[in-house]
Amino acid sequence: MNKNLYDLLYLIKRNIKMYFKDKGTFFVSLITPAILLILFVTFLRSVYISSLNSFIPDGVNISSRVIDGFTAGWLVSSILATSCITIAFCSNTIIIADKANGIVDDILVTPVKKTILSLSYLISNLITTLIVCFSCLVLGLGYIALTGWYLSLNDVLMIIANTFLLTLFGSLLATIIESFIKSMGAGTALSTLISSMYGFLCGAYMPISQFADAIQTFIKFLPGTYGTILFRHYFVRGAMEKLAEQLPSEAMDGLGVGFDTKISFFGNEVSNGTSFLVVGLTVLALLMTYIVIVIVRGQGKKKVHQTTNTEVTQP
Amino acid sequence: MDKVERNIIEVKHLKKYFGQVKAVDDISFCVKEGELFAFLGLNGAGKSTTINVIAGILQKDSGTVLIDGIDIDTHCEETKTKVGIVFQNSVLDKKLTAYDNLSLKAALYGIRGKEFLERLKELSDLLELEPLLKKTLEKMSGGQRRRIDIARALIHRPKILILDEPTTGLDPQTRIMVWSCLNKLKDNKEVTIFLTTHYMEEANNADFVVILDSGHVVADDLPNHLKNKYAHDFLKIYDKSPELIEILTKEKMKFIEKDDFIRVQVKSVEQGKEFIIAHPTLFKDVELFKGTMDEVFLNVTGKSLPGGPINE
Repeated sequence: MNKNLYDLLYLIKRNIKMYFKDKGTFFVSLITPAILLILFVTFLRSVYISSLNSFIPDGVNISSRVIDGFTAGWLVSSILATSCITIAFCSNTIIIADKANGIVDDILVTPVKKTILSLSYLISNLITTLIVCFSCLVLGLGYIALTGWYLSLNDVLMIIANTFLLTLFGSLLATIIESFIKSMGAGTALSTLISSMYGFLCGAYMPISQFADAIQTFIKFLPGTYGTILFRHYFVRGAMEKLAEQLPSEAMDGLGVGFDTKISFFGNEVSNGTSFLVVGLTVLALLMTYIVIVIVRGQGKKKVHQTTNTEVTQP
Repeated sequence: MDKVERNIIEVKHLKKYFGQVKAVDDISFCVKEGELFAFLGLNGAGKSTTINVIAGILQKDSGTVLIDGIDIDTHCEETKTKVGIVFQNSVLDKKLTAYDNLSLKAALYGIRGKEFLERLKELSDLLELEPLLKKTLEKMSGGQRRRIDIARALIHRPKILILDEPTTGLDPQTRIMVWSCLNKLKDNKEVTIFLTTHYMEEANNADFVVILDSGHVVADDLPNHLKNKYAHDFLKIYDKSPELIEILTKEKMKFIEKDDFIRVQVKSVEQGKEFIIAHPTLFKDVELFKGTMDEVFLNVTGKSLPGGPINE
């Protein structure tokens, strides 16, 4: 096997091992999903249910399993939408720790290319985030199955595709931003800020439709929002179909907007295909940015050298 | 000592500036194969900058650095395999075991599988690593961690072992342990040891010393030659008597009175010997010392090194 590939594999293995062995970093990265779970158990579930009931006309009797399936789908979509980003940021603090602790120097004294080291951080971050997010997904799907399963195979496949896409988005964003940070203090501050803010920004704690118009407009310019909307759509689509059998179309439209399963951008409804395209193109743009940064940094180190032929000897 | 002629490191007109700060400003020196070379200087003198350039971590501004005759500019990957470095602070992954740390670093040099296990066995025998291999670094003492640092630096059989202030901040017992490891390596003559330090007794052990001050080489020679050039030999006389002080004053010899001895400066060991022989009745308890590296450093740079003189 090619030496660069070997180096890449060993460094990825090391980075992943470091993330799972460092219990502090591991548990900090799970704070956002944990907060969501606690909020859901304590009051969010009842808020969702009462909000859902407000769309149901008097005299219509909806099965509690459909309502539970809907709220469970909403919870799991929130957890995944935040985890793909927050876990990527938290697990990527190894980039900063390696710089702050001089470990990068120790790696760069070996014949490893700097680009390989940079790539190892991105790939290991992607793998760790995917491991955690897919674990959340499996647990979430299990929970939905227990409460009320209305998902089709296509829904599950789209959820998996979106998890992968959003994780790629999160990992690239985290790797690019954190590669500029040199102190652990700044890194911890950033991951804490992202962990606490992102839940609000992507509408995980409360639907985007409940924010003020200006904030809603701002949120609609964030590419991650479209990943969240996709999760929302595919997680509750089946339950909404069930609801549509008993509810009028006006109530369903209100429900769709009220629970973020559909989103409009300056009056135009954004389709699922467009949402995938927005996230996909953002990933592509971030990937190009990452490549440019790696190339520029690599070239920055190559300077013209002067050679002298002076004899130097010891006495 | 065997005469070794071949230069393993040649640094010519090396410059490295950080903005307005001239960290290393046109320095030249060479290190001979198999020797223990000491780079002496205060913090900020340019020691770490120089070794970071040699190790390929830092890009120099100008000058030439040859490692085993190979230019680091054109064959950096090749020269990196010839250099092992022990950083001032341990830079290994503390959450991982010593084995994991060593196997990762070996893999980055292309040493894997059976080849790694064989090398690990050699280093375990040399540095007594066996009981430490399954321990995580965070559970080790400073001395144990230092042994792993040295093993990590030697894992790829480098020709040059660079140690950046390896004993700074360590307790005396651990310092002795580190030096016992280095002496074993020196005795094996398999590796050239390039040491940066500000401890005088460590510089005393070196085969060759370069003193760096504010990015410049201010002196370079064998420790003995440096002492002859820049330091004074002295007698430490423990029998203080008015007669002795009278003779010293009469012969216009420089001396300092301490609580329980008199320190008399002599031009050479020979003069000290002659003085003792000329006044046999005056001396019952006397020691003759070579000048110290502290004095050398003080006289060359005008600055004192931390740690202080060892024979005072």
